[in-house]
Amino acid sequence: MIGEFFRILFAVLVFPGGLFAIALGLLLKGVERRLVARLQRRIGAPLLQPFYDLVKLMGKITFVPDLADTNVFLMTPLIGVASMSLAMAMLPIAGVYAPSPMLGDLLVLFYVISLPALSLMLAGSASGSPFGAIGFSREMALMLAYEGPILLVIVSVALHVGAASGRGPMFSLAEIVQYQIRHGPLILDWRMVPAALAYAAFIPANLGMPPFDIAEAETELLEGPLLEYTGASLGLLKLASAIKTVAIAGLGVALFFPNGPGGVLGVVAFAAKCLVIVGCLSVLKAAVGRMRIDQAVVFYLRWPVLFGVLSLAMVAIHV
Amino acid sequence: MNFISKAAKKSPWIYRINAGSCNGCDVELATTACIPRYDIERLGCQYCGSPRHADIILITGPITVGVKDKLLRVYEQVPDPKVTVAVGICPISGGVFRESYAIAGPLDQFVPVDVNIAGCPPRPQAIIEGLAMAIDIWASRA
Ligand code: SF4
Repeated sequence: MIGEFFRILFAVLVFPGGLFAIALGLLLKGVERRLVARLQRRIGAPLLQPFYDLVKLMGKITFVPDLADTNVFLMTPLIGVASMSLAMAMLPIAGVYAPSPMLGDLLVLFYVISLPALSLMLAGSASGSPFGAIGFSREMALMLAYEGPILLVIVSVALHVGAASGRGPMFSLAEIVQYQIRHGPLILDWRMVPAALAYAAFIPANLGMPPFDIAEAETELLEGPLLEYTGASLGLLKLASAIKTVAIAGLGVALFFPNGPGGVLGVVAFAAKCLVIVGCLSVLKAAVGRMRIDQAVVFYLRWPVLFGVLSLAMVAIHV
Repeated sequence: MNFISKAAKKSPWIYRINAGSCNGCDVELATTACIPRYDIERLGCQYCGSPRHADIILITGPITVGVKDKLLRVYEQVPDPKVTVAVGICPISGGVFRESYAIAGPLDQFVPVDVNIAGCPPRPQAIIEGLAMAIDIWASRA
């Protein structure tokens, strides 16, 4: 029992949560910035830029605006970082790491992953700034739109794996990964391809990347909820978004393509898969503008829902 | 030089305030930052939308009477340590607008100015040189 506790603590604080996720997340952010700059024919910031930014932010003083609710304002960045480290500890990496069953299954993970968006919304409303408030309402509208399809994706994967192994819906992520190691990745199964597409559409919205960076829109909302944050608390918010990149990409990898070698090579393979996903996101970022909030909501309620239902229906009929 | 100031030297975030500029200097600032030829992101610079995220403040324009209070209020919002740069001849001496009844400047009457970049408007190369000086000052303060 005690051993289990320390194992979970290690997973949350060092590997694959905490330190490992921070290092990988910041590196991915650096790659993204560099890649976007290269695509725009600029030289771009150094790869380690996010590390420099973070260290610098830790050295600056922190203001709390007069209108803000001090406790909520200072707590929310911590919620983001903590929930994302926990989410990383719940993600299995094939051949390297299997989460403890005590941490909960895919459905718990689904809620943990939506916590940073909630913390961002709280941050926006607690900061007492009108830009923050607009960011808050946009984030909420977007979240309501993309949470539905992602739930459809999760249920269809769970149903598929459960049916194929002759049991009910299988919500344990470790079992889903095991199944794919035995029977090949789900992305190669034609019934799961629409679900994978729906998940791919969900990634940029959850990470606040173009064309769905509507809540933090730098040019119109001046980063919305982040507007009033300074120093260390801003650093923590940036850190949370870096870990979130790894967690969301990692969930996609675990759901659809976890196969890989064991040991250190497995970690490298995991990082490479995340890198591919972030590379695609960077190309998207360099290529498209920002959608309006109404367009984005309609987009999410149309295509990802359609794809999710399609996958779900195919899985259900084959049962 | 300690650890934080080493990192800070590579991550100066810049914020620009237009204090009644004719927009000439602002265009040059935008050019300096946004076109591939002068890409200043390689120095780690990044324009930020909020004064609360800023490290280096670039001020253009001759500080008109109407904008003076707002300028000082925004200046207060930038967390310490910070570096102030006057871009163009306007904030330095008033430039073509000097001795006008509508001008409250020059800038150094109100806030401590660290770097002056002269020119009307200054060339992007001059702005980059001024920024490099500002970055050195910023690193010594961080
Ligand atoms: S220095 Fe010249 S270009 Fe710049 S704001 Fe003043 S008048 Fe305009």
